[in-house]
Order: sequence, then C-alpha cells, then structure tokens
Amino acid sequence: MPATSHDVMPDIELYQPTDEENALELASSLGSDGWIVGGGQDTYGWLKDRNKSPAAMIEIAQIDAWKGVKETADGIEIGAVTTLTDIANHPLVQAKFALLATAASKVASPQIRNVGTLGGNLNQDARCWYYRRGLDCYRAGGNICYADSPEGLNREHAIFGASRCVAVSPSDTAPALVALDATMVVASVSGERLIPAQDFFVGPDRDIVNMTVLNEGEILTAVRLPNEWANAEFYFEKVADRNVWDFALVNVAAAIKVSGGEITDARIVCGAVECTPRRLEAVENAIRGQQRSEELANQVAAMSTEGARPLNYNHFKVPLMENLVKRAIRG
Amino acid sequence: MGEIVRYKRDVWGEEVILGVSWDLLWVVAVAVLVLLAAHAIIMAALANKKMDKPSSEGRRVLRHETIDRLFHWVMAASILTLIATGVAPILGLRIAWLNIHWIAGLLLTFVVVFHIIRSLFWQDFKSMILGPKDFGEPFDSAQKPGKYTFEQKGMHWAVTVVVLAVIATGILLFLQIDTPFWDRTNSMAEDTLGLMFLLHGLSTLALVALAATHIYFALRPEKLFYTRSMVSGWISEDEMTANHDTSLWSPKEAD
Repeated sequence: MPATSHDVMPDIELYQPTDEENALELASSLGSDGWIVGGGQDTYGWLKDRNKSPAAMIEIAQIDAWKGVKETADGIEIGAVTTLTDIANHPLVQAKFALLATAASKVASPQIRNVGTLGGNLNQDARCWYYRRGLDCYRAGGNICYADSPEGLNREHAIFGASRCVAVSPSDTAPALVALDATMVVASVSGERLIPAQDFFVGPDRDIVNMTVLNEGEILTAVRLPNEWANAEFYFEKVADRNVWDFALVNVAAAIKVSGGEITDARIVCGAVECTPRRLEAVENAIRGQQRSEELANQVAAMSTEGARPLNYNHFKVPLMENLVKRAIRG
Repeated sequence: MGEIVRYKRDVWGEEVILGVSWDLLWVVAVAVLVLLAAHAIIMAALANKKMDKPSSEGRRVLRHETIDRLFHWVMAASILTLIATGVAPILGLRIAWLNIHWIAGLLLTFVVVFHIIRSLFWQDFKSMILGPKDFGEPFDSAQKPGKYTFEQKGMHWAVTVVVLAVIATGILLFLQIDTPFWDRTNSMAEDTLGLMFLLHGLSTLALVALAATHIYFALRPEKLFYTRSMVSGWISEDEMTANHDTSLWSPKEAD
C-alpha cells in the first residue's frame, strides 16, 4: 500500500529470514512482490523518492551462509552478502585478486561500502536520472526514452549497445569480475545455476526492464573466482566527477598475464559505457602475443571505441575510454 | 487482468495511453483455441454425413501463379516472424528481437505494396470482391462461388484491414527508434505514441487470431487441396467443379 505522506516509510511487509532455505522460499512465494534487499544502498533511494514501493522486502543481510570469503579447491568464493569494505580489505582477495579489492574500494563512499554488499553492487539498477525520477520510460515498462532525445541530458549514458534504452551498468565490481572470469552462483527453490559473469548482465536488446538475468524467485548467493587469473597483473581505474560517492563516467578493469614482457593473455573490461560491462575482445586479441609497451597501448586504444555511438552530451566518453584502455595496457 | 488499455504518466505528469494490455494475448489465445477446437469437434461429428471428397487425379487447372504463391509464403513467413518476435519479450524470452522485427516488417510492407499493385492491374480484382450475394453462399449448398469462397474473401479482407493497420502503425513506431537509416528524434507526442502502440497492439492481437484461424482451416482435410494449390499452383478439375461455379471461374490448364 503506497504511503500517503512523504514523512513516513511506505507500508512494506519486511521479512528477515535467517537461513537460506527460508529466504529462497520467500523469494519463490512472493515472486515479483518480493524485493530482495542486502545493504539497501540501492533500495532506500527508490523508497525515499517514492518511485518504487514494493509490497514486501526480503532482507538477506543477516544470512551468514551468504557472507564471507573462503578459499576453494580452484579459487575463492565470496558470499554475495559480503560487504564491499570486507572484500576490499580481505587478505585473500588482496593477495590473489587485487583487481576486485581495488574495484570494491572505489565504490561510492566508505559509509556505503560498510553496508553495501557485493550482490547489491552487481544487481543494482540503472542510474539514468529520468528512470530514477520515476518517469515511465522503456526501462520502467513505458514506451519512450527521455534520455536519448534532442534535448535529453545524457552525459552519463551509454555509447554502445543502446537498444531504445541508453542507461549504463553503474557497477564498479562488475567489470572486475568479468575480467576475472568469475562465475555467479544463483539459487532458487528449484536448485542452483552457475552463470559466467559476462552472461549475468543483460542489455536492453534482450531485456529492457532488467539489468541481470535473474528470474523471479532467484537470489545471487555467491561469486566464485577461479585461480586462472589469480596474481595476474591488474589495472583498475575509475573516472568520475567526484573522487568519492559517485558513479563512474567510465571505468576499466584489466587482468593481463605477462611472461618475459610478452602479453600471453588479457582481459580488459570497461564499465559505464554500455548497459552491461563491455569486454574488449578485439583489443585483447590484438595485444595477445605482443610486448607490453606504451607503443602497443597507443596502437590499439582506438580499437576499443570502434562502433561507439555517442549521444548529444557524452562524446567525451570516447577519448576517455581510449585513454583508460591505453593506461590499462601499458600498466 | 481485465483491462484492455494500459496507461502511464507522461513527462508532465498527465495520464496518457501506454498501449494495449497484453493480458489480452491470453484471452485471444484461449478464445481461438476454444473456438477452433469446437469447430474441429463439430466437423468430426458431421464427418459421416459428408459426401465423398473430389479426386485430385486427372486434369489440373491453374489456381495460383508462381509469383502469387511466392508472395503468399513470403507474407506468411514475415507475419509469423513479426508475431514471434513481437510476442517474445511479452512472454519474458530474452532474445534480441527488435532488429528482426523491423526487418520482417519492412519485408511485409514491401510484399504487401507489391501485391496491392499487382492485384489491381494484373489480377482479377473482381474475383475477391465481397457482394451481398456472397453472404448467402454458406447457407445455400446449391450456390457455388467463383474463384474464391465467401470464407476466403472474408479472411482476405479481414487480413487486409488488420495488416494495413499493423503496417501503418508499425511504420510510425519504426520512426521512433534508432535504425541504420536514422537516429530517433522522439518527435511524436507521448499521447499519440501511446495511441499508436495501442492500435499496433490491437491489430497484432487480431492478426494472431486471424493467422491461427487461417492456418487451422488451411490444414482441414476438406480444404487441404486449396493449401496444396498454394504450394503447387493447381487444383484438379474434379475439385474445381465440385467446389466452384465454372461459369464464374474458368481457369486455364496448369502446366
């Protein structure tokens, strides 16, 4: 039931399950009426603006089984409800997957990272201000995009992969996890499915109202990082208007294996340029087998922005993205 | 459930039409299934009262030229593609549907324009006209039609209206998205846009019902020779004399 006053929280049925089975059963039975909340750093903004008002919320922050970082036979597993601060500071993550530690440390602000979870950062909704304002755009189930119009303010929007919607993926950890070939562990009452990070995010051409492939009743419970990219040479950089508490204008996450100065393999992923993290496979193929150098970086940087279709106000993202890719390659 | 039209707030906060309610898709699907199933059951019950089927052997007469059969099947494929891609996101299927949808739409537009011109100047347009006399045909077994039966003419004109509506609204919606030919301009007012989506959706629903009905009748045993003629071009002389008035339609012999 919507609130009748802006001074109080809307009426929401709050469920706080303490074990996984209970949480999954609630997610299944409530379906689209059940809003999964971890740290709430995305949720409360919606509620405060009164632009979304779920009938029920399922808080999963207290489910211990979905918290923490543990070593596995072939890598590490991070519970989806682990806070970003814990991930950034965890010795195991810092030792083997510093790329993720750095990315997590760049999210928002210290206060937000203290309660914000990895799962929440990955599942957060688009930040297009027209959508967040509550306008009935395509992403909200409507039939128009206000951002991509002659007078639309689209400075922070996509330069790739727009299909009616031009919102970007705002997550900082997402590009890092794609670069590390992570696997998402998604659970429901029907069981568990494993989704490669690159396939976890979905663009508007295939699903214009959701940012991920999670179905109703499913919960992201963990993220697995294979040792394949452990201790590679990492680079993460985020460019935003503010140093703290801001979403990226463009970010880059790179994992590069180097042997004797030669790049033997690479993963380079950019965020905030498309509705999903954008993996630069053409650039990766171009630098594989080459000597890592500034010259190489200069030669291939332009490949990263081939096919870009800037909007009225975000042409700056093209050279910005090229420069970030250059810096990631040269190290 | 139960609404026909969905509404939204425009950028000024005014309530405007968003589009058709896709709950109606289930209503149409169930209604069509029930009606066609009822027809099949009734026809099966009446089967032993039917006369022998005319023979497909013997002299063959030309019913559809090659170009017209090609038009029919290209139109059928494009409509089925449009329905499949248009309905996919409604059903929650995650496929990149939009480009396939408008490409099929352009193909449909092209073949429909081609057919309109050809039917007006190169075919016997009068053979498809529905007149008052035609409405007595289903009730009078002695009255045989010319080339097309009352039902076939009815289906043709119903599809004509619906397909023209879906093409006209589809073109207006096509102008509102980015394509290889232009960048979108968001030039249509939101209330008009919603009306176009509503009309496009309603004509889609009608097209789903008509397509399902057409395919059902095309596969009915007593009509299968017509379907064969849309593939091979001919019907037998026996089939022609059994179902048509040869004074109203006298086709040439098929090759």
